[in-house]
Amino acid sequence: MFEAIENSAYAVWVRESPSIFAYTTILSLHAIGLAIIVGIHTLIALRLLGFVQEIPLAPMRKLFPWMYLGFAINLFSGSSLLAANLTNDLGNWLFICKLVFIALAMINLELTRMWVFDRPVIAAPGQLPQRSRAVAIAALVLWGLAMVAGRFTAYPNFVEAWLGF
Amino acid sequence: MQAISDFLITLPIGDFVATHDWVWPFCETLHFVGMCLLLGTVGVVDLRVLGVAKGIPIKLLEKFIPLGVIAFVVNMTTGFIFIAGNPVGGPMEYLTNLSLQIKMLIVVIAGINLLAFYATGLHRSLETVPADGNASGGAKAVAAVSLFAWIMVIVMGRFIMYNDTLLYAFGL
Repeated sequence: MFEAIENSAYAVWVRESPSIFAYTTILSLHAIGLAIIVGIHTLIALRLLGFVQEIPLAPMRKLFPWMYLGFAINLFSGSSLLAANLTNDLGNWLFICKLVFIALAMINLELTRMWVFDRPVIAAPGQLPQRSRAVAIAALVLWGLAMVAGRFTAYPNFVEAWLGF
Repeated sequence: MQAISDFLITLPIGDFVATHDWVWPFCETLHFVGMCLLLGTVGVVDLRVLGVAKGIPIKLLEKFIPLGVIAFVVNMTTGFIFIAGNPVGGPMEYLTNLSLQIKMLIVVIAGINLLAFYATGLHRSLETVPADGNASGGAKAVAAVSLFAWIMVIVMGRFIMYNDTLLYAFGL
């Protein structure tokens, strides 16, 4: 089944077309989506950890749709890149780690929305739910791990040598 | 270009990169982190100036800009290491890369845009914008240019390793 996906017309186009809109543009979209979701979530996490506390939390809720946009861009671009290189990617344990970290980071994003931003009390200044600190730290750690694993997906041999595999 | 390359080769960066295999992927990861921080600070201020997430006071959001400046310095440093320490093609491979040249041009445009923002006094107009108010048209224009420029910097950055597709598109 993997081969059928890799040999589909779309996967072949993504992988092999010399067009500027194929692999290169999809890869660029993946970096843009990453910058949007991780950039905004980092800003929100820093605010929850006490940076620039004067900023009211309630309007920061309006940034969530932008993070979902970033995620949608990367779901599309990531699926396209994965289809083009399916067997290799799924056989790469660092890539699997990256997917796990992204899944956890997205669950944490939803917990942040539910526990911190969708509560009516957030309008009160100076009062934060106990768990806001935990989800903020989790956001920084999980996105950091996802990015490290994602980048090192290109260097599995290095990592295995360092770890003594 | 050749003169710059000749100078960069005299630096010990190339040797260090060649003898420590962790340096390149480590710097790449930092480069991506810097990219996210730059978009998450400067990009969010741009969005707010353009009218997104009203209720956040622009003046307070701007307090995150120093983090974006740090991110920019991190990316200038790691980017310099990539060019000076390129273990395969040397500095010339990057210095003559059209995608990188365009990327650097857009970084300069983003810098001039920012200088114009301060030189024209537009930044003062932002200080009086209420938390849920609109920025002036001039400030919105600067924010739009900034946001577009940084997104294109990301795009052209990704194109560096796939420069052939850019040359193909330009018929070069």
